[in-house]
Amino acid sequence: MRLLHLTVVIAAVGVIAARPAAPLNESSVADRTTWDSVFTPEQAARGQTAYAATCARCHQESLSGADESPALAGGTFLSKWSGLTLGDLHDRVRVTMPPSDPGTYGRQHISDVLAYVLSVNGFPAGRAELPVAGAALQVIRIEAARR
Amino acid sequence: MSGATPRGFVLARSAAAIATVCAALVSVPTDSSAQRAAASAPRVLTTATGEWPSYTGDTRGSRYSPLDQITAANFGTLEVAWRFKTDQLGPRPEFKLEGTPLMVGGVLYATGGTRRAVVALDAATGELLWMHSENEGERGAAAPRPLSGRGLSYWTDGKEARILYVTPGYRLIALDARTGEIVKGFGTGGRVDLKLEIDHTILPDLTTGEIGFQGAPVVARDVVIIGAAFREGGSPRSARNNKGYIRGYDVRTGKRLWIFHTIPQRGEPGYDTWGDGSADVAGNTGVWTQITVDEELGLVYLPVESPTGDYYGGHRPGNNLYGESLVCVDLRTGKRKWHYQIVRHPIWDFDLSAAPILADIVVGGRAVKSVALPTKQGILYMFDRVTGEPVWPMTEMPVEKGEVPGEWYAPTQPIPSRPAAYSRNGVMLDDLIAFTPALKDAGALFASRFKLGPLFTPPIVSTTGGLIGTLTQGPTNGGTNWPGGSYDPETHIFYTSASNYSPSLLSLVPPAAGASDMRYVRGTAPPAPGTPRLTGFGVQGLPLFKPPYGTITAIHLDRGEILWQVPHGETPDAVRNHEALRGLDIPRTGQPGSVGTLVTKSLIVAGDPELTTTSSRARSAMLRAYDKATGAEVGAVPLAAPQSGSPMTYSVNGRQYIVVAISGGAYSGEYVAFRLPVAGAR
Repeated sequence: MRLLHLTVVIAAVGVIAARPAAPLNESSVADRTTWDSVFTPEQAARGQTAYAATCARCHQESLSGADESPALAGGTFLSKWSGLTLGDLHDRVRVTMPPSDPGTYGRQHISDVLAYVLSVNGFPAGRAELPVAGAALQVIRIEAARR
Repeated sequence: MSGATPRGFVLARSAAAIATVCAALVSVPTDSSAQRAAASAPRVLTTATGEWPSYTGDTRGSRYSPLDQITAANFGTLEVAWRFKTDQLGPRPEFKLEGTPLMVGGVLYATGGTRRAVVALDAATGELLWMHSENEGERGAAAPRPLSGRGLSYWTDGKEARILYVTPGYRLIALDARTGEIVKGFGTGGRVDLKLEIDHTILPDLTTGEIGFQGAPVVARDVVIIGAAFREGGSPRSARNNKGYIRGYDVRTGKRLWIFHTIPQRGEPGYDTWGDGSADVAGNTGVWTQITVDEELGLVYLPVESPTGDYYGGHRPGNNLYGESLVCVDLRTGKRKWHYQIVRHPIWDFDLSAAPILADIVVGGRAVKSVALPTKQGILYMFDRVTGEPVWPMTEMPVEKGEVPGEWYAPTQPIPSRPAAYSRNGVMLDDLIAFTPALKDAGALFASRFKLGPLFTPPIVSTTGGLIGTLTQGPTNGGTNWPGGSYDPETHIFYTSASNYSPSLLSLVPPAAGASDMRYVRGTAPPAPGTPRLTGFGVQGLPLFKPPYGTITAIHLDRGEILWQVPHGETPDAVRNHEALRGLDIPRTGQPGSVGTLVTKSLIVAGDPELTTTSSRARSAMLRAYDKATGAEVGAVPLAAPQSGSPMTYSVNGRQYIVVAISGGAYSGEYVAFRLPVAGAR
């Protein structure tokens, strides 16, 4: 097992000369965006409660972040995620949060929190809830500006 | 699995074994092996010989290298020499890689991964030479400052060569730089438990007791100096916390040589600046950023952070030495030589956030050995580093006395007469968005829910139906933060990036029942019925403050004068594409964020803190070069993610490299190395 781990490390090391820096979303096939009413008001309200319980201590009630915790609302947040998908954002939360015990939030919990985050960032609610399945999230693109 | 190893020793030992196997498996062309490189390393290590032997290039905070192969004329032709992805260095990927590598003798050393592993790479190719990591189990999981940290240190006496770093669980580790194997004669089995020998008992226990350090240790004259960091302190669970004392250790043995009490103990000078005996219980007051050393003078410069309670100090009446003070101590003994308290009775979270910079300057014809301190406030404080006297006269600025029950207020704060502030601090109406009359009105309306004011406007108690809090700029990632500045010793010019848009809310509420024994903690009162809850500081998705949002500034230290200032980074997409701004000609705004700068013979180099998309290129951040004399941008190359560490440079086999850590969003941590194309390549 240790050797396997090591092998992966070595494989990850590479000489990739002259490869241009490819944006992550290059292969994205998302055809819906966060402007297409991808969550419900009820889900956002549920998400607000979940956010207050598990996220607000570090990211602040106002979602404005602090020294070590990035803002989850506003231009910097949107600049970071615009062009990526809700699947990417969901994965990031699932893999890294909470910092003391990553990977322990359920998919529904994360989707609810994301619904709240989207609502705070001014995206419209609709009649269908934000899904929990990765494939369904992967086809919803985050767009900072309505096109 | 990790939780089953309470001290992480078993897996750490395994990791050492991995390192050995690893070295064997990837043992490689002899001319690039770690063994040979380390053995041939020069005795005097300096950026002048193409190395980068310390976190800031030297122990003086400079971030300067005289290398001159990469210039304004060719920067735009830089190509990626190699990339090193850090995902597999820990149990999961990390998206916050903040390290600055070192380079000695053709080997690049860096931290990475969620367990803060150490790797040695071939500096020319990025090939892995060895890796060491410690699985600290529950102690690592409880760390107040987890993840890969900001770096490590290198030491050699010409015979041995060692790498030293601090784990997330606050252990100092010594590794053989040639092999990555632990140096068993150092401390106990190669480790020093930093939660011990700290002149007080770390509570509640060694596993979960809150204290750590994410910075790079500094090594000078065989002394390793270790700082201390804690969780963010806006809402502490108690007015009592562990103390961030600073210690020096023998680099050969791991023996503690000295300790400096950043909160004086009874009988020590400064104890009486803590009313009600609060020095006995208050904590924090560590040094979480980089420490600087003058090896010739044998002096150490400690930039100390805030005491317990970032925004409420009612449990610690008085000036609270050495909170938010620059403290100079003796390298050999840790005895205090002088100190200067930058902020008295800290209640604004103005931790001293950046490495002090040692600058030998000439002021009015007189040579001055100075120390220059960039800050979150965007003020560069400068002192004679021998005597502690300010280089430029200080003004005692009267500051507003607040009305928070139980709080103690310092009536004045010292402000240097030079140089002028290089970033926004405090927020007045004139600082608010004004692209159009409608946006100006909207900004003023939004801001009417807050108390505004200049630097040092105090926090307020948040009230339902009243003001939400004091809105200011600086405490949260404003001005210069941990990436620090740079200094060119040839021209006496200091450079720094600064975040000019980091809205910070200074608002207090009584803690929820059972949440804290503090009278007040950071928070906002519930909104009145029908009033929207505060969510962010934007106005229609635009930043609340006027641009520029981020800058790079050059300051001539001989004169205390700003030479130039330019926006750093493309205008953010959310601004450039905003429908309310269509048809307006908005100059480049720069981007919010404090990023590390590198100074070379002719350039300032720094990466963007955000991704943008323009008509001429795909979505990316840019690594930019500026003419250091004028601030004119002279070249840029794309980065797949924002700069999250600080750039460094070195030369191997006659070729200059620039390496920078990038990460953020969905892009996990990666070190990227750039170099020029081979001349005449087909």
